[in-house]
Amino acid sequence: MPEIDTLLSVENLSTHFFTQQGVVRAVQDVSFSVKKSRTFAVVGESGCGKSITALSIMRLVPEPQGKIVAGKINFSGRNLLSLSEKRMRAIRGNRIAMIFQEPMTSLNPVFTVGYQIEEAIRLHQHKSKSDARDLAIQALQQVRISDPKQRIKEYPHQMSGGMRQRVMIAMAISCKPELLIADEPTTALDVTIQAQILDLLDQLQKQSQMSVLLITHNLGIVAERAQDVAVMYASRIAELSDCKSLFDNPLHPYTQGLLKSLPRLGFTGKRLYTIPGIVPEPLRFPAGCKFHPRCPVGCNDKRCQTVEPQLRSLDNGRAVACWFAPGYERPDNPK
Amino acid sequence: MLTRGFHLADNTQTEFKPPKGVSLWQDGFRRLFRRPIAVICFAVIIFYFALAAFIYLAEIFHWQIGFTLWSQATGPSYQPPCRENIFGTDIFGFSVFRRMLYGAKTSITVALCASIISIGIGVPLGAVAGYFRGIVDEIIVWAYSTLSSIPYILLIMAFAVVLHDKTIAGFKLSGITSVYLAIGLTSWVDLCRLIRGETIKHKEREYILAAQSYGCTNSRIIFKHLLPNVFHIVIIIFSLQFVSFIHAEIILSFLGLGEADKPSWGAMINDARIELARGVWWQMVAATVAVFVISLALNVFGDALRDSLDPKLRVR
Repeated sequence: MPEIDTLLSVENLSTHFFTQQGVVRAVQDVSFSVKKSRTFAVVGESGCGKSITALSIMRLVPEPQGKIVAGKINFSGRNLLSLSEKRMRAIRGNRIAMIFQEPMTSLNPVFTVGYQIEEAIRLHQHKSKSDARDLAIQALQQVRISDPKQRIKEYPHQMSGGMRQRVMIAMAISCKPELLIADEPTTALDVTIQAQILDLLDQLQKQSQMSVLLITHNLGIVAERAQDVAVMYASRIAELSDCKSLFDNPLHPYTQGLLKSLPRLGFTGKRLYTIPGIVPEPLRFPAGCKFHPRCPVGCNDKRCQTVEPQLRSLDNGRAVACWFAPGYERPDNPK
Repeated sequence: MLTRGFHLADNTQTEFKPPKGVSLWQDGFRRLFRRPIAVICFAVIIFYFALAAFIYLAEIFHWQIGFTLWSQATGPSYQPPCRENIFGTDIFGFSVFRRMLYGAKTSITVALCASIISIGIGVPLGAVAGYFRGIVDEIIVWAYSTLSSIPYILLIMAFAVVLHDKTIAGFKLSGITSVYLAIGLTSWVDLCRLIRGETIKHKEREYILAAQSYGCTNSRIIFKHLLPNVFHIVIIIFSLQFVSFIHAEIILSFLGLGEADKPSWGAMINDARIELARGVWWQMVAATVAVFVISLALNVFGDALRDSLDPKLRVR
């Protein structure tokens, strides 16, 4: 496989929330890298830290409670965490753009959609009003909204959820970003619209060679769209892999459980498999491996209960954080 | 390659004619003026404002038009209402009717200037507090909590007494200036509190995060994205507070802290207090009616405004 350049690499990122009840470790020691013009998916259940990872990359963690406490985010050679707010603003929307989960609320209700796309363009490019308007119409065409010249004068409430999400995408791609962060872009949409939006993202990605960081809880979307995957559990990455091997041969018991609990064609059993137990509360994470109370493999293991496994690279280019994963404890790996 | 979305869009395009875009504001005002009572109240308010503006202009350009000349005797002292003087005359033989009209100018000037000051302080402070939270928020909340813990009228009186006829930075505060400064500087609390609350609510909406994500500065987000979304509150509060400002002006004038040498409704009521014992009722009635009509109109109009501008209270 030819080596592809890395666009974004996140190293040991930790984001904590300092609340009155205590410190919530929303993201702990997360490392991954997104390659140029590829799709990297982050999967995990609600509250596992996916969205906060994305917001950390944009440096938009809700202040003053949230804070990035450690790590590096290298984006085309620069550490985003050391940039001034002003230079970060020049990157946001311009080189890294983001689309959100809730298309119903992510457009400002008091402005026309045209105005909002134009604003995104004019914040980063010195364009006249009419040039920006033309670019906005072009962007709407790119996301396949019919009659963009008319639509540009409409307000968000006149559009359906799918159309609003298209407008959001148009805003995001209007400055031709190198990285698009899509935070659950289809969760709030119904299934047919989901497919359309994902097709659209695929196509735009092919046209403009941008990378996509896809955050989702839907393994089906991951299998279909992503090349690389990180599975997150309780604010850490449990497993990091290319998409195919993850589905063929999941290494972490959590990933195995997730895949087992998906309904399959020809499934005849009465009940679907469920992972026992519940996601631990972020204020009271269990000691040792955070998954051990629910783990079919390590629930009685002394080491799992006391020592948290770190994410370690394996020979085959994958990485996993589990004491029982084959190849995890190679002799050359540090204890 | 065509996506499924493209086909769908194509099929619907022929029969789909999008209606002309209507902003929330246009929609709100359309709802508002569908109600006859709101239109009547609006007309009354416009009448008062026009009257005030006219008297103001007449004063500047020295127009010698009958009803603006309040300081000319039009009859004997304490003449009861009659043909020439609808509301009779006062002790100097001045027409009470003309004084009443002039009172509109005083009241509306004070209420308008006080509103501008109060909005100018309350809105930015509230928006900044709600948007940034943290220490900024705490300082602003502390400031307005302190201010609001002092009884309102006492606070205005204290300010008015301090400011009355003072010269600040070479600028002499005439009676009326000190009144609206006193009212404006003390009455931004409610507005600030509401704007802060509403800002906190809107800040959690994703469109603010989206605006941040495409590189807007904080000030741009506050003034360009947030304020239009919370501005209906300013308009509603403005219309409701306007009444209380008129009342505050009347109270201050009544207490002798207001405009000393020009008519105002408060001064008229103060004069009438003693006259009433002698059976001279017309001055009191004139001032009260004038206040009553504008108060009622503003209150009803304010309610109608709220009903039509607040998306959650929309009544068709």
